[in-house]
Amino acid sequence: MIEIRDLKKCYGERTVLDLPELTVGDGEALAFAGPNGSGKTTLLRLLAELLKSSGGTVKKPDKALYMPQQSYAFKGDLVRNITVTGCEKSEAKRLLEKLELSHLAEKKAASLSGGELQRLSLCRVLSVPCELLLLDEPTSACDAKGAALVIEAIKAYQKETGCTVLMSTHSPVLAAKAADRLIILNGGRIEADGEPKRILMNPENEWAEHFIAGWKI
Amino acid sequence: MESFQQAFDLLISLDKELLQIIGVTLRMSFFSTTISCLLGLPLGALIGTRSFRGKSFLKKLIHTLMGLPPVVAGLFVYVLFTHYGPFGSLNLLFTVKVMVIAQVILITPIVIGLSSSFIEGTSKPVIDTARGLGLSKAKTVGLCLSEGRSSLLSVVLSAFGRSIAEVGAVSIVGGNIQWKTRVMTTAIMLETNKGKFSFALALGIILLLIGFAVNALASFIVKEPADD
Ligand SMILES: Nc1ncnc2c1ncn2[C@@H]1O[C@H](COP(=O)(O)OP(=O)(O)OP(=O)(O)O)[C@@H](O)[C@H]1O
Ligand SMILES: [Mg+2]
Repeated sequence: MIEIRDLKKCYGERTVLDLPELTVGDGEALAFAGPNGSGKTTLLRLLAELLKSSGGTVKKPDKALYMPQQSYAFKGDLVRNITVTGCEKSEAKRLLEKLELSHLAEKKAASLSGGELQRLSLCRVLSVPCELLLLDEPTSACDAKGAALVIEAIKAYQKETGCTVLMSTHSPVLAAKAADRLIILNGGRIEADGEPKRILMNPENEWAEHFIAGWKI
Repeated sequence: MESFQQAFDLLISLDKELLQIIGVTLRMSFFSTTISCLLGLPLGALIGTRSFRGKSFLKKLIHTLMGLPPVVAGLFVYVLFTHYGPFGSLNLLFTVKVMVIAQVILITPIVIGLSSSFIEGTSKPVIDTARGLGLSKAKTVGLCLSEGRSSLLSVVLSAFGRSIAEVGAVSIVGGNIQWKTRVMTTAIMLETNKGKFSFALALGIILLLIGFAVNALASFIVKEPADD
């Protein structure tokens, strides 16, 4: 269970995140959407303890993993990029297979394309079990096929470990297919919170409606 | 051309005095570089990966010290270790040890300044990724160092280059004593002053060869495989 109370993050005078109350149940898959700068990364980094809050309390499981918005390639090949976590080589190869990167396994990670690197970054984080998985825009660099692989892998991992998943996204597909709850952030505050399909079809307030409209063709 | 011939002749004749001078030079540079890096790299990593109050002032101070003139460092150490100075009783003046001390004062700021800005520039995504994976502090630092190893190698080599090429400090505190504290650079100075230009140049060529050999050895040890 994650319990957030009065969580705030300020830079100088500016408050970029302000969450009076947010509770996420065990095993839930929650997606955050919202415009650039609405505080998605800030919230995930606070939960990952990569950032100090300006106030408030957070109760959460101990073992949390976080995949940054910007994927990083360590020196060396793809397998080594995954085994830095301490997992077995066979596990690394199984994950590469799953995300259709096996044919590149011996290549340098630095030579990967943006979408390939993002899938590698997901393999790396999924190679360790955890109770809380934090993914910052896990499909932002992927094509439709790649995004589908990512969603499948996240779901399989969640089934296996029973972890809670929090992810940020600009993709309605990810929100609708991988999450069972969607929160829309605006200027660090929650505008809408509920079942993804319901929010996408029928946003509860005017601002969210306007934002969702921007997602449609 | 004559100098090249002379340099070559000197090298193959294995002139006893030359070998001794090369020995002192390498010993001094090895210790100066090692101590400066042992002090400077951890401090550079610390400054490069953390933010704290007074950091920008500290960086300005370090950058100023990076430009410390060798003669000033030499003079400073001379005053400390001279017979009447605070460390006079140690009797270290005009020894290789005190030359190393002077060089460490000169080189450590360079190591701190260069390594902190390299690490500052490269380690943020490494730290984010490693800590996001729940890796230990030690493992995270290890990854930062191995990810930045080629730039850190050039820090170490800059330190070595500064040490082996330096005259001002070592001539003041070392005194250029034959068979004792004479190093390549001070020998070159002496030969130049004596008017033996081509011999001095020959020594210079040998100094460059040593520098090249050390660089080649270093890049062989920290091999950076080419991207395929
Ligand atoms: N170190 C910082 N100093 C000042 N402001 C910052 C800092 N880091 C982030 N911000 C501000 O906080 C706000 C929220 O940023 P955040 O990265 O959480 O947005 P986001 O929702 O993830 O956006 P995106 O969709 O572009 O990834 C932004 O307006 C950003 O400018
Ligand atoms: Mg973001």
